Amino acid sequence: MANWVGYLHLVVVPQAIDGLIIGLALALVALGLTMIFGLLGVINLAHGELYMLGAYAAFSLTAVGIGFWGALFVAPLIVGAVGGALERFGLRRLGARHDYAILSILLTFGASLILRDLVQFAWGPETHQVEAPIAGIVRAAGMILPAYRMLILGIAALLIVGTWLLLYRSPLGAVLRAAAYDRQMVASLGIPVSAVLTGTFVFGSLLAGTSGVLLSPIYAVFPTMGHDFMLLAFAAVIVGGMGSVSGAVLASILLAEVQSIASLWISPVWAESMVFVVMFLVLVFRPQGLYGRLGAA
Amino acid sequence: MTKLAQNVVVKGVIRAGGLLPSALCRARKMLSMPRGGLQAASLTRIMGLIAVAAAVVLPLLVGQFYIRLGIEALLLGGLALSTGILLGFVGLLSLGQVAYFGVGAYISALLFLQATGSFWLVLAAVVICVSALAAVIGAIVIRTRGVYFALISLAFSEVLHKIAFNTVALGGSDGILGIPAPRIGFAGIGQIDLRDDGQFYYFALGVIVVIYFAIRRILATPFGSVLSAIRDNPERVPYLGYNPFWFRLLAYVAAAQVAAVSGMVFPLLRGYVSPDLLSFETTTRSLAMALVGGLSSVLGPLVGGGVITFMDSLVSSLTERHLLVLGLIFVIFVMTCPDGLIGIAARRLTRRERK
Repeated sequence: MANWVGYLHLVVVPQAIDGLIIGLALALVALGLTMIFGLLGVINLAHGELYMLGAYAAFSLTAVGIGFWGALFVAPLIVGAVGGALERFGLRRLGARHDYAILSILLTFGASLILRDLVQFAWGPETHQVEAPIAGIVRAAGMILPAYRMLILGIAALLIVGTWLLLYRSPLGAVLRAAAYDRQMVASLGIPVSAVLTGTFVFGSLLAGTSGVLLSPIYAVFPTMGHDFMLLAFAAVIVGGMGSVSGAVLASILLAEVQSIASLWISPVWAESMVFVVMFLVLVFRPQGLYGRLGAA
Repeated sequence: MTKLAQNVVVKGVIRAGGLLPSALCRARKMLSMPRGGLQAASLTRIMGLIAVAAAVVLPLLVGQFYIRLGIEALLLGGLALSTGILLGFVGLLSLGQVAYFGVGAYISALLFLQATGSFWLVLAAVVICVSALAAVIGAIVIRTRGVYFALISLAFSEVLHKIAFNTVALGGSDGILGIPAPRIGFAGIGQIDLRDDGQFYYFALGVIVVIYFAIRRILATPFGSVLSAIRDNPERVPYLGYNPFWFRLLAYVAAAQVAAVSGMVFPLLRGYVSPDLLSFETTTRSLAMALVGGLSSVLGPLVGGGVITFMDSLVSSLTERHLLVLGLIFVIFVMTCPDGLIGIAARRLTRRERK
């Protein structure tokens, strides 16, 4: 009996906390995806590359001597600018056409290839490491937890709450939700919808970039790092319901926990596949995902 | 009402409603226009014949390296065609047709290595296994639409990639080596020896041409008409007595079959399969092929297969940045001519005829 409690306390719970941390970082990526989909109807296949770009920017900025905290502010801005450019000079130019959904997927896909290869060109194919800003451990309830991971937990949770407040408790959020519901109507009220759309894309990219910076000291930084993480984020967005904000956050945590807990007993590779099993199951029983779309009543 | 009568009524209603601006309908429309330039049906036929003629002549003009590259182009073109069928005729963008390509390749590798030398037996095994797999997976993913479908198909292929990469029985990351190229007998008429590159090339060409005409034929049947109707107006079709689910599922299984048969022949070229076949790279290339050739034509992906394969080979001999080049191709084609080379050629030919 005591054995079991000890196992739960010292193995399962720390693993669950670890899953929560990854889940919140994942939620930042998924939030951007789901907002971009909710407002622009675009599946941004370059989102994983934006996350990757955040990590690379963090690597270079810390090397320049700006420090991790500086990088945490500057890197997302760079990523946001790249995302904004993708929307302004790419997606916007496609115009309104009946096959927009498919063409936008292919366009962002092309953009992801370009970004990945440019990064490989600039930084080389090898992996890099970013130094964590704080070392050491935190002791809580008899458990030993790395301090930096706790910091990620705090920052990511803050950003998620901030995004929620922005969307649901601010005038700008009201505009965003209205635009997701009926773009023409919002435009006819004199609101510059095109700026709102670009802004959403920039904001989503910013979140992905932040997630990249936050996770860069934990994971290695390499050109294809965005691919698997993006797939996870997409799985979260699908499970949560495309375009849903709270769904994306909850599903991110759920999937990260599944992966984290499952990897206690099965090899991490299969644990990763478990995530997609969950996704398939959700699709079978609830094809529309757990929650409704942004802007839907 | 008999099925036939029902079909006639359905087609009549759909056409009358103008709900069928499909390739088929467009072709019919152009046929009925006396001054409408080169007729669309003959246009496709001309372009098809040019493509086949070029493919037949190619091995006589080039060396072994390019013949082998040509085989690769044909088989990857088959994979691209599988994506093209789903997109052009069902309206679903699949980012994971590579899954069936890979399954076909692995089944073929295992059977040729351990069980049999008979091409026909292996073909039967691939068709049966892939039908079963595609029916089960399809029954789940077909329920979703648009972007969901794209992402789920991608996730499915990624899972298969991981499984192949981590299963020792399938050779893990090394894959399976030393697959013997078989001789294919044709019931006493003769046989094709796949160890000979020239024969392999014409065999692959034969496979692709058969698939091509089979698809064209299927699309011209009532089944094909209902399929296009579902793509263009999924809400209306159920009221005409058709359940879109079964039509979509059948089309999904058929597309999987095209990918699997191409995939089945693929390992015989180099004598090995590796998880790379199932990777995102392969998806990338096949999507580029479908896009460059023309997304909603049957010929397009095959033409794209040739263009992208030869271009890839050329680019990688010049620079390491072939991903960048592929990415730029995606962006340029999406922004400037989303209907691909076939679309460009069609416009050219029609314009010339009008002068």
